[in-house]
Amino acid sequence: MTARAEVTRGVDYRRPSLWQRIIASEHLAGWAFVAPAVILIAVFALIPIGWSLLLSFQANNLLAPGHYIGLANYRALSKDPQFRAAIGHTIVYTVIFVPVSVLAALGLAVALNRKLRGIRFYRLAVFIPLVTSTVATGIVFLWLLDPTFGLVNYALHALGLPQQGFLQDPNQALYCIVVMTVWGWLGFDVIVYLAALQGIPQDLLEASEIDGASKWATFRSVVLPLLGPATLFLVVWSTINALQLFDEIYVTTHGGPLGATTVIVYYLYQQAFQFFNAGYGAAIAYVLFVGILIITLFQLWVGRKRVYYVS
Amino acid sequence: MKRICLLIVTGALIVSGCGGSSSTSSPATTSSASSGGHVNITLWHGYTDVEGTAIKALTKQFNATHPNITVTPQFYGNSDYALQKVLAAIAGGKPPDISYLYGSWAANIATNPTTVNLAPYIQKDPSWNWNDFWLAARNVTTVKGKIIGVPALIDNLALVYNKKLFAQAGIPLPTPNWTWTDFENAALKLTDPSKKQFGWAYVNDASEDTVWRFWAMLWQAGGSILSPDGKQAAFDSAAGLKAMTLLQTLAKHNAIYLDDGSDVYPGVFNSGHIGMLWTGPWDLSQITGHQPYGVTILPADKNHQTISGPDNWVVFNNGSARVNAAVTFLKWFTSPAIDLEWATMTGDLPLRASVSKLPGYNAFVQKYPGIGEWAANLANATQSRPVTTTYPKISTVVGQAVQSVLLGKADPQQALSQAAQQVNGILSAPS
Repeated sequence: MTARAEVTRGVDYRRPSLWQRIIASEHLAGWAFVAPAVILIAVFALIPIGWSLLLSFQANNLLAPGHYIGLANYRALSKDPQFRAAIGHTIVYTVIFVPVSVLAALGLAVALNRKLRGIRFYRLAVFIPLVTSTVATGIVFLWLLDPTFGLVNYALHALGLPQQGFLQDPNQALYCIVVMTVWGWLGFDVIVYLAALQGIPQDLLEASEIDGASKWATFRSVVLPLLGPATLFLVVWSTINALQLFDEIYVTTHGGPLGATTVIVYYLYQQAFQFFNAGYGAAIAYVLFVGILIITLFQLWVGRKRVYYVS
Repeated sequence: MKRICLLIVTGALIVSGCGGSSSTSSPATTSSASSGGHVNITLWHGYTDVEGTAIKALTKQFNATHPNITVTPQFYGNSDYALQKVLAAIAGGKPPDISYLYGSWAANIATNPTTVNLAPYIQKDPSWNWNDFWLAARNVTTVKGKIIGVPALIDNLALVYNKKLFAQAGIPLPTPNWTWTDFENAALKLTDPSKKQFGWAYVNDASEDTVWRFWAMLWQAGGSILSPDGKQAAFDSAAGLKAMTLLQTLAKHNAIYLDDGSDVYPGVFNSGHIGMLWTGPWDLSQITGHQPYGVTILPADKNHQTISGPDNWVVFNNGSARVNAAVTFLKWFTSPAIDLEWATMTGDLPLRASVSKLPGYNAFVQKYPGIGEWAANLANATQSRPVTTTYPKISTVVGQAVQSVLLGKADPQQALSQAAQQVNGILSAPS
């Protein structure tokens, strides 16, 4: 049987049928293995993404059947002063949050990348806020920053400094959110930088030491460039997260006071789930999506020119 | 190899996950297909603690006395997020037969074709004694002539005061005849920044919690929210200005503890730093046992009106047999005798006026000191917020107006005019 098959294969130049090719192909096995993940992503991500695109062309409250209104949601969005304000708040937040969190993480990671007594404790201390739930973080900050009974104002009072409104002051609330989120997310950035620092080949550092480079020169000319990929990743990742800020606002200020912390995704939530304008909310989501896409592509383009990958 | 194992595990999880969901849904399909006259219905609720025990006990009692119907109560988590879950169930074609839903959602829920209009059932059957339900609760069930629910909860705002702080300040305790002037003077005298002591507290997160307190003041001053035809804002009036000015005066003198919306004020009241609260029976269990307190009706400008935030039992259509069973259950559950039983178990206010005439009512009032004042105060809840789909937007605008006055960022007239202009824009927009 085998011998004969080999013989026929030797002479038969007909292409195997499509079915045969599918069965024999390695692709099938590959797809079979990734199917569980692909199906999950399709059901819980791709289909909703497609559906919300349709939703953005509808007047829909999710309760009654919706109807198509073309680009009306997008047109209304372009004239919505509250949406413009939300974009402004989001940009201010992102422009402060990203550099502050990345730079602070770099400093901390360098400080923690040493042989020190109790280093595990310090690393753990940096990491714990990240695994603490946002709700708990939010409530702790609400207590700390309470204008009347909070610990921070108590400390300011003890130092003879004026009392602040913090999250209840429209001029301060957004900056308090920055502090809170930097504290909460720093652990992740530090971990990434620590891993990158430990991946730097020891011989490069030794070489620069032999060449007589100062510690600062080594850091600037050897360590920092080698951290490029990690920095690019963190900047892109933090920017995406910052533009999608929601949980911390939802837990603490509810977009207030006087709308001062109404960022894009919080405004989306208000429209979709408080005002029953799901179509309008979906349109906001798509505008945000395109915005994030453009910013990310720009960052990656800059990164390609500036970041060196060494293996 | 490790990765392959992981994939297999993931795959197994998915398969078992699907298996799990299909097995849990099968009882529902069998119940809807039941013949033989027996009907199974589900009731979704967010009750925990004493209320959780009470709903189990009373549905059990109903099932025992109604052999043809079985009601299964199902806990849906926090009521704040119930709407999303019910929406998902409707989209999936398997809505609950009865669900507890907030009154503020009523106008939007009425737009759903699965929501049952109960008006024909109630009009057909005079033994419902529909007008016995408090007016404020009935108003929230009624959307454009349809009755989309049965009252599930009713509350209202009353004045709760700390007797000790009043004695220390040397002022007489509030009475049911108090005026705004009495209230204002007391709030100012009870305020002492050096002791971090405030005369009053106000929820200042610009949410509906901020807004409804303002509506109560507006009504007390003789104002109304919208024009009678509902097409124009009417709160930018002399009454509105008077209410906003009272808020401004008290805020300027630091007489108001501004709560950020995370429910801090009961704790501050319990620690003896707040003289007076405008709050509802839901705070009763929290404030009992800390300060010597009293409860009375709200002070009057022109009248002593209060505001109520009722919630509903909404029925969804799963076929006429199940709708009939749901209506039978709700009629039984909200009947005076059972309502009193519920109130006594949970401390919730009775839904019906006639409950106060039942022999067991005194035991209820004695079990929860202060509850009698809130129950009697329901007679002062004579107006309701507009039950319209645009109300959430109106609420947001007015919430910001009140907040801007409390924070001293706008003066009362400016805040009112601006809010009225925005509300008129919302009302005239095609929906």
